[in-house]
Amino acid sequence: MSFLSLVVKNPFRNKTRSSLAIVGIAIGIMVIVALGMVTGGLKNSTQSTLKAGAAEVTVIQAGSNGFGSSGSINDSYVADLLNVSGVKDTAGTLRASNTSTGTTSSNSSQARFGGEGITITGIDSNKLSLAGVDSVNGTAFTNSSTNEVIIGKTEAQSLNKTVGDTINLYGKDFTITGTFETGNFMTDNGIMMPLSTLQNLTSNDGKVSDILVKVTDNANVTSVSQSIENTYPNQLSTTTAASSADRINQGLSFIDTASWAISLLAIFIGAVGVINTMIMTVYERTREIGVLKAVGWKDRRILGMILGESIVLTLIAFVVGTVIAIVGVEVLLTLVPSVGGIIKPSFAIDIFLRAFAVAFIVGVIGGLYPAYRASRLSPTEALRYE
Amino acid sequence: MNKQEPIIEIKGLKKSYDNGKIKALNGMDLKVKKGEFISIMGPSGSGKSTLLNMIGALDTADEGYIQVADIDLMKTKNLNEFRSKEIGFVFQMHNLIPNLTVLENVQIPMFETKASSNEMNERALELLKSVNMEDKINQKPTKLSGGERQRVAIARALVNHPSIILADEPTGALDSKTGEVILNLLKDLHSHENVTLVMVTHEPYVGNMAERIVTVLDGKCQIDTNVM
Repeated sequence: MSFLSLVVKNPFRNKTRSSLAIVGIAIGIMVIVALGMVTGGLKNSTQSTLKAGAAEVTVIQAGSNGFGSSGSINDSYVADLLNVSGVKDTAGTLRASNTSTGTTSSNSSQARFGGEGITITGIDSNKLSLAGVDSVNGTAFTNSSTNEVIIGKTEAQSLNKTVGDTINLYGKDFTITGTFETGNFMTDNGIMMPLSTLQNLTSNDGKVSDILVKVTDNANVTSVSQSIENTYPNQLSTTTAASSADRINQGLSFIDTASWAISLLAIFIGAVGVINTMIMTVYERTREIGVLKAVGWKDRRILGMILGESIVLTLIAFVVGTVIAIVGVEVLLTLVPSVGGIIKPSFAIDIFLRAFAVAFIVGVIGGLYPAYRASRLSPTEALRYE
Repeated sequence: MNKQEPIIEIKGLKKSYDNGKIKALNGMDLKVKKGEFISIMGPSGSGKSTLLNMIGALDTADEGYIQVADIDLMKTKNLNEFRSKEIGFVFQMHNLIPNLTVLENVQIPMFETKASSNEMNERALELLKSVNMEDKINQKPTKLSGGERQRVAIARALVNHPSIILADEPTGALDSKTGEVILNLLKDLHSHENVTLVMVTHEPYVGNMAERIVTVLDGKCQIDTNVM
């Protein structure tokens, strides 16, 4: 028998008490891991909006919040903006939403996350890369077509559609020619069709919702953005992908802070639980500790044993909590596809390292005092303990 | 060390508790030769267990001189190492660890030695054979009888080749027949392992099994009798 095997064995002398302590800590670990996976997933999605090929600047009508779903800018600006210094390419996009999704009936509808319809983006097929669509599984629609669409991967899963299927939009059947995945949950949760087709369907001829601008390789994104606003004062305003990502990241950082606060709370509650468990253990085993001292065990070995037992408890709680978090998040996202379509949980190693660190710290903090107490026991008093 | 030289030498040892109100040892003098088997007898509260704790370095004296196995216990700081190397304890209650097997219980004192896992196994098995417990090495103490538990405790006391075995009422929790078996076992191991055996008891028939009986009264050695 090794000292390590003794340390691993001892916590299970009182299975009920140890199990309860493990459950208490595992709940904290579960919350830390689950929150980390969800916020990490949202962060990844935000980062993907800054993809290399995609537009860096989005131009909207001055005074608009950019979230409108109809055309508000004259599409002549799409060509005009190419004259602004530093602009490499532009693409007008029209955004609309539609709730009818049945394959044959225009009246069938499906409940959607947030109660909104399918987001449909009208864009020229040769400009798809500016919207973050680098490649299409299948083929992209042709600009002249009036019955072809491509569908985001998440939307396709949600509607159970694939290439070759038809989808009913605005009372008209469209053939899905391809699927795409950008990594941006908003884009992947929508459909794209030729700009002119959507303009016709929504009576927005000659209008776009916004214009995507790709800057030249050596240009400064902020300068180009400012030049556009200066060139078209009171007509156009701009947002950069980086600033949008920053805004989202700010929101996520609040969640991150909350996650850390929960971690600290978990450490505190867990440590109190572990201290209680380990003090009970030391009380119950006082005579045994006396015997260990009598047979020559050093104080630091006794300290190491009790501290080790405490850490064993919390590391088991780490494994249990992590497994429950992973299974729980996956099950939740599978059971609620509308949420699952938006959030792709992150499995970044730092989430698990953080949970491991919390478990380890709880083990050390929770075990330190009882271990010190045990190591300082007088052998004769410990042996007399009833 | 010469066999005639004392392995335990105590002069004027004093120990009091409760701010000096209880004088457990009051100028104790005692010499024990290497390889001797002595019984320390006396009424309850006479100081015999305190004396045993002093010899085993489980407690420290207030004043006086105590040297055990050439180590001055009044000056030595590393008493754990001393206990690990020189002393084997047998308690009235076996004090085995309930969740460990018989074999693992015997190995417990060896954690402070540099013995490998194989050496620990070999030594523990050898001793469990010598106390006739080799067929129960994988049993937990809760499945053993009182006598069997005490046999395991004796094996545990001997595992680090100590020079002295300190037995505090080793038969106190056993019936007389089992007690006699345990005493004979202790006596056999004392001669076979060549260890000094110091046994505290208040039962005369147990004390009479020793070579020498020391009677303690009021914290002092009052009568010192050679039985054989």
